[in-house]
Parts: sequence; C-alpha cells; structure tokens
Amino acid sequence: MTDAVLRCQGLTRHFPSGTALDGLTIDARPGEVVALLGPNGAGKTTTMRLLNGVLEPDAGTASVLGLDPWRQGDELRARTGVLTENAGLDERLTARENLAFVARLRGIPEARATPRIMELLDRFGMAHRADVRVQGFSTGQRKRVALARALLHEPELLFLDEPTSGLDPVATRDVVDLIGSLAQEQGRTVILCTHFLGEAGRLADRMAVLFSGHLHAFGTPTQLAGELWTGTEVRVELGRPPGADLLSRLGSIPGVVQAVPLEDGVLARVTTRESVPALVAACVAAGEQVFAAEPRQPSLEDVYFEIEARAKRGAAA
Amino acid sequence: MNRSVIRTLLARDLGMIRRSRALMLPMLFLPTLLLVILPAAIGLAARERSLDVDRFIEMLPGGLADPVLAHPPDERLIILVLGYMVAPLFLIVPLMVSSVLAADTFAGEKERKTLETLLHLPVSDRDLYVAKLLSTFIPSTAISWLGFTVFCIVSNIVCWPVMGRIFLPTGTWMIVILWLAPAVAALGLGVMVRVSIRVENTQEAQQLGGAVVLPFVVIAVGQTTGLLLAGPVVTMAVGSVVWLIAALLNIRGMQLYRRSSMAARL
Ligand SMILES: Nc1ncnc2c1ncn2[C@@H]1O[C@H](COP(=O)(O)OP(=O)(O)OP(=O)(O)O)[C@@H](O)[C@H]1O
Ligand SMILES: [Mg+2]
Repeated sequence: MTDAVLRCQGLTRHFPSGTALDGLTIDARPGEVVALLGPNGAGKTTTMRLLNGVLEPDAGTASVLGLDPWRQGDELRARTGVLTENAGLDERLTARENLAFVARLRGIPEARATPRIMELLDRFGMAHRADVRVQGFSTGQRKRVALARALLHEPELLFLDEPTSGLDPVATRDVVDLIGSLAQEQGRTVILCTHFLGEAGRLADRMAVLFSGHLHAFGTPTQLAGELWTGTEVRVELGRPPGADLLSRLGSIPGVVQAVPLEDGVLARVTTRESVPALVAACVAAGEQVFAAEPRQPSLEDVYFEIEARAKRGAAA
Repeated sequence: MNRSVIRTLLARDLGMIRRSRALMLPMLFLPTLLLVILPAAIGLAARERSLDVDRFIEMLPGGLADPVLAHPPDERLIILVLGYMVAPLFLIVPLMVSSVLAADTFAGEKERKTLETLLHLPVSDRDLYVAKLLSTFIPSTAISWLGFTVFCIVSNIVCWPVMGRIFLPTGTWMIVILWLAPAVAALGLGVMVRVSIRVENTQEAQQLGGAVVLPFVVIAVGQTTGLLLAGPVVTMAVGSVVWLIAALLNIRGMQLYRRSSMAARL
C-alpha cells in the first residue's frame, strides 16, 4: 500500500528501566482510526511520542505524513495534533488563553485563531467556561479543552492518548462520539491509545494489541479473530447439559472442530455455516430439544483476552 | 530561530511571573529591603554627628580603610557602607533572582506538566531554550538595574545634608552594575539550567541549585568590595571571566536541552 499516512518498521526504544517498545511495525491509512490497545506499560505512550518525533528510537524507521519524524519533526508536528495522557493545560491560564497560546506558537494569525477558538470551545461544550482558569476544571473539562487545542490547526493526523481515562460514563460517551465524528465526517486519521476495549471497539477500524512493548496482533477485529480461531462458534441451546455420547457424536460430524459442554447446551466450533444444520439434526436425533442455535461472532473481549492468554503462554514458554 | 515563537513563550513566562505572588513577593521584598531601606537607614544614621565610626574603620584592612579615611570624617560612614560595603548586594540580587526564575521556568514547566505539550508542538528545541533563557535573564537584569537606580536616588537624597553632592554612582560602580551584574545573572541561569534538567520539580531545583549557587554568593560577598577598590580595569576583566563561564555553561545547557532527552525524562 502506497497510500499509508503513517508506517513504521521495527520501532524500538529502550529506557534504563527496560525496553518500552520492541520492534513495532504498523501502518495507518487516510481517515482510518487505529487503536493501540494494551494494559499499563504496554508502550502506547512511547509509540505516540516516537511517531510524533518527540522521542528518538534506538532502532527502526518511520514515515509519518510522508516525513521523517526525527529529521523533519517540526514540519511533522505542524500537521499533527496531540491529546496527551494528562491534558497538559497550563493551570494558571484560562481555557481560552491556553488555546490562544498554542495558536500563537503554531503561527495561526490572530484574526483566524480567535473565532476558531470560540467555535471549538463551543463545539466541545466549554464555551461557558472559556474565561475561567483551568485550575478549577474537572478531568472531563480538561480533556475537552485539550482536545479543542489539538484541533486548532486542522491537523491531518491526531494522536489521542487515553482520551476517556478518568471520565464518567456520560463524558466518556460524549468524547467517544466526538472522536468518532472527527474521523468519519472530517476524514482525519486518528491514532488512539487506550486500554478500554469498548472504546477501541466503537472507534477503531484496526487495532494493534501491545503487551509490554511487543505487538501481538494488528488488524480489524474480524481479522484478528480469524487469525486466532478457525471457523465460527455456534451456541446450541438445549435447556440442559449435554450427555457425553452426544458430545462425542457432535464432535465426529464433518466440519465440526470442537464441541464443549455448557450449562444449558453445547458450544461448537464449525469451519463453515454448512455444518450447522447437521449439528442441529444430530441433537434432535439424540432426543434433545433444540431451543436455539446461533452462530456467534467473537466479541472484542474474546479476541483481546485470547491474545493476552496466548501472549502469557508465549512468555512463559 | 523563530522570533514570533520566542516572543510568545517569553510573553507567557513574563506574564506568569508578574501574576505569581510566590515569585513577585520575594523578588521585590529582598531588593527593597537591601537596596532602599538599608541606604536610607545608613544615611539617617550618618546625619547624627555623634556617631563615631573611625575606630571601626581603623580595624578594617588597610586596603579598605585608607580610601575611606581619605574622606572628611562626616562622610566616612556613608562612603564605607554605601560606597563599598553594600556592593555585594548588587551581585547577590541578580544571582538569586535568576536562580529562582530559572528553576521556575525550566523545572516548573515539567512540574506543571506542560512540557510535554510544548514538545508536541512545532517549536524547535533551540527556540524553547532561548525563550527560557530570556525569560530568566531579562527580569533578573531589569531588577538589579532598577534596584540600583532606586538605591542611587535614595542614597543621594538621604545623604545630601552630609555629602552635599551626588556621590553615587562612581565609574567602577557602573561597570559592576552594567557589566558584572548581568554576567552573574547569566551564571546563575547557566547553573540552574543544568540542575533543572535533572530534577522533577521546582522545589528540588531550588534546593539543589541553592547548594550550587551558594559558593558564588560567598565569593560575591567576599570579593565585590575588593573589586570596587581594585578599580575599573580589574572589574572589567573579572566581568569578562564571569561572562565566559556563563556562556560556556549556557551553551552546554543548550546542547543538553534536546527534545528527545527531555521527553525521556517526562
Ligand atoms: N521516560 C521514561 N523513562 C523510563 N522508563 C519509561 C519512560 N517512558 C516509558 N517508560 C517505560 O516504558 C514502558 C512503556 O511505557 P508507556 O508509557 O509507553 O506505556 P503505556 O502503554 O502508555 O502505559 P499506560 O497505559 O500506563 O499509559 C513502561 O514500562 C515504562 O515504565
Ligand atoms: Mg500511556
């Protein structure tokens, strides 16, 4: 693909305390939301700093918006917007002053900056607090102001580091909606660091799953599930646990990879949908009552926890 | 260098210094006390003719005693204290002010968690560094010059009945103020930059910085009066040496103030 907005290869960074990132290779296409998903210490923030040319890598290459982040950093940063983990607002200034300060540093002429600042604060529901010092703001209000600040100069690429951490459910929903609209309506590319599966699931086109500096999976949720498991899961509801000989009979049907007992039925894994009728027929033939048989897409949680489990097994081995 | 970026950073820092009572009060209080109240008190004391300072003067080393004794008896207290002994204050003030401000702008940026924001902006490391140098250097120098002006005015007015002439500033004094005091401010700054890069917050920077700056204060106290006695040429030379050391420290500071190493310490 030549149309990548961002691509990096073998990105590695060590700190005296250990390796923060080890050989990361990912890419992002225009207008795409790519989530960096991983627990604390996974290397998400480090990745963001590296890709925006703020931190230099020990190894690896990257091209972001066609630029080398470490040689053309200022050029790159003129076209990216960042929401850092803690909003990084100056507490001593008002919301408007914080934005005006950054607008000036970004070289946006005052005549353009002034209406833009009000427009953004208004859009993020912060217009009524524009002239209040940030000191008294809640976490959610800070995130909104910082998000507005990241958008001042209409960046082509946005780095958002845990945009919803510390927010209540309503504020989380609002911020997630905002981010969704940024990508969808305005065609910006977004790199979203998060450890919330729900947020990644709602917003991300593709996700990179990181554990302690290693990339364990990268792709759409469906792709990731496909890499983890063959076929689909089918839950057959029988109203009671299955007998042992029913289980072994189901397991021998062509196309059925696996059949495990549940409290109220069977969870079977089939290579294709075509095996589902045979599965149901076998249950009926065994004298069972079939209340439901539903093929089930693995949820993002399933995918994530399976990757995590395999990562741990890999680390243990 | 991007002037508009430097101006913006400078305007914010200077504005914040002005708004901050924690910075403004000590910065104004100490110089006022040292540079206004002290000369006023000495001047008033000298008007009391009964005061006999000659015995004290005779105990001073000959180098200081002789030039003071060359003046008529009435003027001796004034010449001794205001003409020579307060001189160190004019170096301590820029040194202290620049240390406090440098700690605030360099370590404070980290402590306030605003440094990462700046690093993610299209602002070059050098512009950021230069802005921070200026936001420390300009106020420290301004305060010492303003302080000296006020000191001269107060001294001349209060001492007029005794002196009957404008006795301050002398040529050597002017060199101390215009050449040496800014050099000392730059020196304090150079030291604090190095210290601030290493620490987490302003308080640590001030503690560690205080320990490093203190010897300079001691040198200033011990030697400045001597400089005034030694005359303009020596004062110029000493000023040049201090400037050189300050310049080396600050150039090294600029090399250390690199984005990636700052980001690695966030
Ligand atoms: N400046 C630094 N100095 C030393 N170690 C660091 C530094 N930055 C990151 N690390 C280490 O690198 C690893 C990855 O850190 P990073 O901040 O990138 O993780 P993260 O995925 O953003 O975690 P979180 O969800 O907690 O924000 C951690 O073990 C961290 O301790
Ligand atoms: Mg992080």
